[in-house]
Amino acid sequence: MDILSLSHISKRFGRLPVIKDLSFSVPEHSVFGFIGKNGSGKTTTMKMILGFLSMDGGEIKVCGEKVVYGSSKTNRFIGYLPDVPQFYPYMTPKEYLALCGKVAGLSAERTAKRSQELLTLVGLDGIDRRIRGFSRGMNQRLGIAQALLSEPKLLICDEPTSALDPIGRKEILDILAVAKTSTTILFSTHILSDVERVCDNIGVLDEGVLKLEGNLNDIKNSYRQDTALISLADPGRNQELMEGLSQLSIIKGCTEKERDVVVRFTGTEAARRQILELLLSRNLPLVRFELLEPTLENLFLEVVQ
Amino acid sequence: MNRFLAFTKKEWMEQIRTFKTLIVFLILLLFGLTSPLLAKLTPEMLKLFPIEGLNLAIPEPTWMDAYAQFFKNMTQMGVIVLLLVFNGLLSQELSKGTLINMLSKGLPRSTVILSKFTAASILWTLSYAVSALANYGYAVFLFGNPFPPHLFFACLSLWLLGELIIALLLFATTLVSGNYGGLLLTGGVLCLLLLISILPQSAPFNPITLGSGNMGLLTGDTALGDMASACIVTVVLIVLCLAGAILRFRKKQL
Repeated sequence: MDILSLSHISKRFGRLPVIKDLSFSVPEHSVFGFIGKNGSGKTTTMKMILGFLSMDGGEIKVCGEKVVYGSSKTNRFIGYLPDVPQFYPYMTPKEYLALCGKVAGLSAERTAKRSQELLTLVGLDGIDRRIRGFSRGMNQRLGIAQALLSEPKLLICDEPTSALDPIGRKEILDILAVAKTSTTILFSTHILSDVERVCDNIGVLDEGVLKLEGNLNDIKNSYRQDTALISLADPGRNQELMEGLSQLSIIKGCTEKERDVVVRFTGTEAARRQILELLLSRNLPLVRFELLEPTLENLFLEVVQ
Repeated sequence: MNRFLAFTKKEWMEQIRTFKTLIVFLILLLFGLTSPLLAKLTPEMLKLFPIEGLNLAIPEPTWMDAYAQFFKNMTQMGVIVLLLVFNGLLSQELSKGTLINMLSKGLPRSTVILSKFTAASILWTLSYAVSALANYGYAVFLFGNPFPPHLFFACLSLWLLGELIIALLLFATTLVSGNYGGLLLTGGVLCLLLLISILPQSAPFNPITLGSGNMGLLTGDTALGDMASACIVTVVLIVLCLAGAILRFRKKQL
């Protein structure tokens, strides 16, 4: 079942189109990485899911219920962590979570129990001073705690790691990895290594359009199989190799990179066999033949160009 | 209802911990206590500093002067205190983004407006009541106990004006953005009503009458009917402001 589905969403700010015909869905118990440059419309999309911004067209459904702009009804399914979460500075974390619990309609006992679990999870247990003066990392961790308080079906995190130092980032990702076992996560970011750590599915948003969407492994596999690196024992014969390769119909192109040759091809098994046959027939001694793991970064750059 | 109570309690906690309760309570109490005292002492002070060649015939101060002083303080400084203290009621939460977490948990936007109005109203009501009682007690102590006619009604109408200002601030904040937009708009509306009040015919319909006709009620210069109809107009305006605030806030992009 899809926890979240967007169909044909469009949004303009004044005359500027920000989102153009955006459609995607997030299945239950998955982590969806929502990737895009700054200003690509990630936050705008998330705010529309929460009913904080109006849409110019399309329909958003959360757990099968339609999102209505200005109404908070569908938000009972959602836990939201804004990019820079803001709290009431005169409260302690416990007091804040108690307020959140009441606002979310949880019983006092349930709130107390969940607060204790979550404060322990995010490492804020026993901190009884007021939120005023918390560091960014502490704020972000309290943000996750408040977002998870009501055990939401969908957790929306808006760039939760962008403003943090490497340790803070790791902490947040570890917490998300735990949260992933019990909820569905929509996670926006422009830090691609974070995506590779936690996400199952990704969507690349660029200029208001989803340029790439699907299972992260599938996407990487589909890109993985068509690039290989060949190192010859004698790099002086690289030209000869490239000449031979260019005569094969399955080869899309090859370039010399430092002392190696990078070759792009279509097909999989057949292409590899043909390349190896070429090496044998020309008697080119091989040092290394490697299928290149596509980095998400390359993929991203390719897609948003 | 639970959400309403929870959010209203949060408002009280905020008022207390950010010293708003203390500020409003103390300033209003100060007005209540000093008004009769000033009325009593002004002639004495003038006698202490005789101006040569000027023979001032100062009448003996009465309870009337105490109330004149009280209503003047409340309608001038009291209104300013209300405007300044409650200006950030909604605008600050919007500009800082603290409401986002609450709304993302399913808190209805109408509850936000109603809770804020309730909490601010209660602070104003209690502080004003204590201030008015202090003024009454001190006036009795200094000037004896001639219970002026319509005293309760005169005080009540000024209280109602305060309620209108709170509702107006909330509505104005949903109409214009920024930290001071709502304050400016509310101030503008009050100035406009003040200008209209120059026309005597406007008295029965103008909320300003609630802050300008109080002494008249005590002396008999303001018709009871005029004040009563101005009160009704004000109650209607408060309801309209709150309804407008809720409708506008529902459609506000966050």
